[in-house]
Amino acid sequence: MSITPRARRATKTWSKSGQVRRKPSPYEITGSQFHYHFRREPAPFELSPDTPINEWYLKHREGSPLQIEDWETFRDPDKLNYRSYVSLQHQRETVMDGIVDEYERRDHDATLGADWAATLTVAFAPARFAIHALQMAALYLGQVGPSAFITNAAHFQAGDEMRRIQWLAYRCKSLSLAGTPELVSSTLARNTWENDERWQPARKLLEELLIAYDWGEAFAALNLTVKPVLDIVLNEELALVAEANGDGLLASMQREHAHDSERSQRWSKALVATAVAGADGNRDHLQKWVDQWSSAAYDAADGLRSLLADAPVAPQPALLGRSDIVGRHEAFLASCELGR
Amino acid sequence: MPKLNRSEWYDLTRDMNWTFRYVEEEQVFPEALSNGRGIPAEEWWRWDEPYKISYREYVHNQSEKDESAYSINAAIGRSNHFENLDAGWKSGIVAHYGAIAIPEYLASIGESRMGRFGRAAAWRNMATYGTLDEMRHGQIQTYFPHTLLDKEARMDWAHKAFHTNEWGAIAARSLFDDMFTANDAVSMALQLTFTFETGFTNLQFLGMAADAMKVGDVDFGALISSIQTDEARHAQQGEPTLRILLANGQKEEAQRLIDHMFWRAWHLFALLTGLSMDYYTPLEHRSHSFKEFMNEFIVKQFMEQFRDFGMDLPWYWEQFLEEMDWYHHALHLGVWFWRPTVWWNPDAGMSVEERDWLEEKYPGWNDTFGKWWDVITENVRSGNVDRTLPETFPMVCNMCHIPVCTPAGHVTGHFASPAPLLVDYEGRRYTFCSEPCKWVFESDPKRFAGHKSLIDRFLGGEVQPPTVEGALRYMGLSPAECGTDADDYAWAFPGGAAGEIRRAV
Repeated sequence: MSITPRARRATKTWSKSGQVRRKPSPYEITGSQFHYHFRREPAPFELSPDTPINEWYLKHREGSPLQIEDWETFRDPDKLNYRSYVSLQHQRETVMDGIVDEYERRDHDATLGADWAATLTVAFAPARFAIHALQMAALYLGQVGPSAFITNAAHFQAGDEMRRIQWLAYRCKSLSLAGTPELVSSTLARNTWENDERWQPARKLLEELLIAYDWGEAFAALNLTVKPVLDIVLNEELALVAEANGDGLLASMQREHAHDSERSQRWSKALVATAVAGADGNRDHLQKWVDQWSSAAYDAADGLRSLLADAPVAPQPALLGRSDIVGRHEAFLASCELGR
Repeated sequence: MPKLNRSEWYDLTRDMNWTFRYVEEEQVFPEALSNGRGIPAEEWWRWDEPYKISYREYVHNQSEKDESAYSINAAIGRSNHFENLDAGWKSGIVAHYGAIAIPEYLASIGESRMGRFGRAAAWRNMATYGTLDEMRHGQIQTYFPHTLLDKEARMDWAHKAFHTNEWGAIAARSLFDDMFTANDAVSMALQLTFTFETGFTNLQFLGMAADAMKVGDVDFGALISSIQTDEARHAQQGEPTLRILLANGQKEEAQRLIDHMFWRAWHLFALLTGLSMDYYTPLEHRSHSFKEFMNEFIVKQFMEQFRDFGMDLPWYWEQFLEEMDWYHHALHLGVWFWRPTVWWNPDAGMSVEERDWLEEKYPGWNDTFGKWWDVITENVRSGNVDRTLPETFPMVCNMCHIPVCTPAGHVTGHFASPAPLLVDYEGRRYTFCSEPCKWVFESDPKRFAGHKSLIDRFLGGEVQPPTVEGALRYMGLSPAECGTDADDYAWAFPGGAAGEIRRAV
């Protein structure tokens, strides 16, 4: 045989990304068409097509009811790739460093009462189990997402959850040094998480979330229901209670974490829009999953709020009631053009 | 800076294991994604990573590292640095990006599998960093070649290779899917992190970085050195996992997992790194031979690692050591001959000085591989380049998916017979290049038996028309993309008569 090489015309971007009119952004260059294994024939991965993990992906990803023709059309509104994510979070962590420095300089913890620390021992320290489950669920969503733009956003979300857990650990440790060693007892935290009745609705919800394996359901359950509902309590309500009890440091930390939660909601909303625009049945699929998970999520939020209600000083205005949480969630769903 | 050190609070973020009440443990950790080998949950909770880092430290460090690597890339992009690099070296880089960039991204999916299905919170946290790290490596190694698209159209393969059925892409995909994308969390910790990332990535990333700096490819050198600093962190998920398997009577299984993946990684990296180091890198810039790098980064490292854990050397260790003398030379000969089937331009690397270097580094090379290259060289010199191009295809191995090179193993005195190894399983015949590849298949046939090699597809009528041209199209190679000799055959014409004679060709 003979081969006649000829020069290929330089292209603006990857040949697999199709024709583009302008040079794509770094976000697009480092994400577009990376999931070559999605809907690949005869199976996603280069092993026996019937090997259990190929079957897992065929069932839970390719076989999910939530499908559109081309998931590559989804874009994270924040357009984060690794470089811009670590740069963003480097800035946010610099802000967090500044918050912590400021309170530590003022010896803030010395001003707090033992009864507030006792509230945190029950209501805050065990929350790391719950947030860790959110981290695990985000990592699952990432590995079954049908495009890299979805996978990456979910993986960043998992990183954000780990961030939230680490500052929780920091806060428990720093406050424990002011005279509440129980705050750093892992045995106590685990016992509370496993046995305190007020934690059980959240524990049940999150354990069940971990086995929601259909990718569409995993997304709807985690990002449209469980996380937005629990984050109202874990970030915002906790911040209000902390403030009422003189713990401005914890309040500021949780408000800092709320930035991450808002980013999760932005890409979730965009993904709903992509899904709904892409196929007729998708709105119903998403709504059905949201309906299936909502009531348990509200129960979990009730449990968490009842833990916060034991704080020495009640916040003004008062903690949200169940109907307020439902209202907030419905407003989020409405912004996603879901809900009744 | 916050007053508490990481060590004062970090353990709280590791103590997050609990017993499931509302669902079954097997539902949360299904065997397909997390094969715990029956070890009880509490045993897994002893998992203890040697290296710890906080999220805060992570984003502060990583943003700085990325800024540095990307600013070098931007500065070099404004120069004519790339155009001035040696053609053979560029081939090695094009091969590297195609075989490595998207797999690194796939490794982020592997890491997130461990981050979700790893059996201890401490492990899942480590894997969460690994998820982010590997996303970095996939993205930076696609971004950099993308900046070179206007200078080298073959850089498209950094992104395209895994979309195709090019044979090298099938081989790489088969290895990396087996190792991580389609692996369960526990096996992956041993096969990806313990076996692969502690040794073979050093070979490709530190070894190639050393050569890159000598060649003057600061862009690539800085890139892969920066990547290797991340590998060192998340690679440490293997050790604690291995300790738990060993403490719970799973030594034999652990040994099997490691032996399986060590061999597979060796074959692919003989193809990728072996050719780059011993043939594509310009002679004056070769810091060590591939074999020397292998001895330094693989043989020594693994022997120490195995000894430290009371593991045995893989049963095929002698064969492995022998293959370091001949296997990648056979692959080079084949890849150059079948050069239209690869996305890069293979560099023959056959100048007189290069042949002397090969004989020095691999005594006996002249009497074996050298003789075949004499024939090729003669054909090129006498204008018969067509005789150095393929009319058909070689068998490929049903495990490593690399062409079977047993005849070369036979001629060099390592195999009693030039014939490939055959296995009949459930009515189908499988071909293997070596005893270890055959053994990997037979250890878990269901995992591999349903898969078809490129040649199975060709013979089964999936490649149409069943000609070299039809196969090239099946492999995603347009005529402009097919590999050709990197130096335009200049190596065959010492003294510079090449141009004239080649025009006659």
